[in-house]
Amino acid sequence: MIPCICLVQAGQISEKSETVLRSKLDAFTQKTFGEGAQISWVAVSKGNGFTAAKPSSSSIVSVRPHTPVAQEKRAELLHELCGFWTAETGQSMNEIVGVIADPIAN
Amino acid sequence: MPLYSCNAQSGAISAEAKAKIAADITRIHCDVTGAPEIFVHAFFFEDAPHQPLDGATAFLSGTIRAGRTDAQKADIVEDMRQSIHTHTGIALDAIKVITQDTPAQWVMEGGDIMPEPGEEAEWLAAHAANETA
Repeated sequence: MIPCICLVQAGQISEKSETVLRSKLDAFTQKTFGEGAQISWVAVSKGNGFTAAKPSSSSIVSVRPHTPVAQEKRAELLHELCGFWTAETGQSMNEIVGVIADPIAN
Repeated sequence: MPLYSCNAQSGAISAEAKAKIAADITRIHCDVTGAPEIFVHAFFFEDAPHQPLDGATAFLSGTIRAGRTDAQKADIVEDMRQSIHTHTGIALDAIKVITQDTPAQWVMEGGDIMPEPGEEAEWLAAHAANETA
C-alpha cells in the first residue's frame, strides 16, 4: 500500500466528494505504482488552519511511493493529482498542495 | 509549503493564541528565509494521533523546503518555540519544535513545481503570468 496523507479544512469537502477522492487516489496509486492507497484523511478543525496567517482553504495531499520517481514523471503525476482534486472539490489550483515524495532513506 | 503542523494537549492553546502563533510562524519563516507569506501554512491539532506529543505539551513540526542553513533552522526553531510560550504560557521545555527538509521539486503548489529557496521571485512572476495567460 502507498501511504497518502490528505490534510483538508473541515467542512470544505463533502462526504460524497471525500468518497470520490479516496477512490481516485486509490486508482491513481494503483495505476502509477501498482499498489492501492493507504489513506490518512485528516480534517483541520474550523479556525485551526491558516495560510499566510489568514483562515486557510488549502488542502495538502502527500503521496509517498516505495520507489523513487524521476522528476519529469513526478511533475506529470503532480499535475494529474492536483487536477483530479480540484475538479472534484471545486478548489482552485492555488488551494491545493501536492507532494510526491521519494522513499525515506534508511 | 512550508507546512507547520502544531499538535498540543487539548485546551493548551486557545483559539486566540492559535491565530497569534500562526501570524508569528508566518512572520518568522518569511523573515528568516525570505519566502513569500502565501507559501506558509500553519495547521493546529489537539491530541492528534498522527503527530504524537511524546511527553510534550505542544509539538510544532515544520516541513520546509530543503536548502535552508542550519543557522536559519535554529532561528526558526527558537523563535517559534518562544512564540508558543509567549502566547500560551506553556513552559519552554514542554514545547517541542522541529523542522524537516523536503526537496522543493517534490512539491506542487498553485499548479507549479515549487521553486528552490532564493528563486521565489521568478517563480511568482512566472506563476502570475501563467494565471493571466
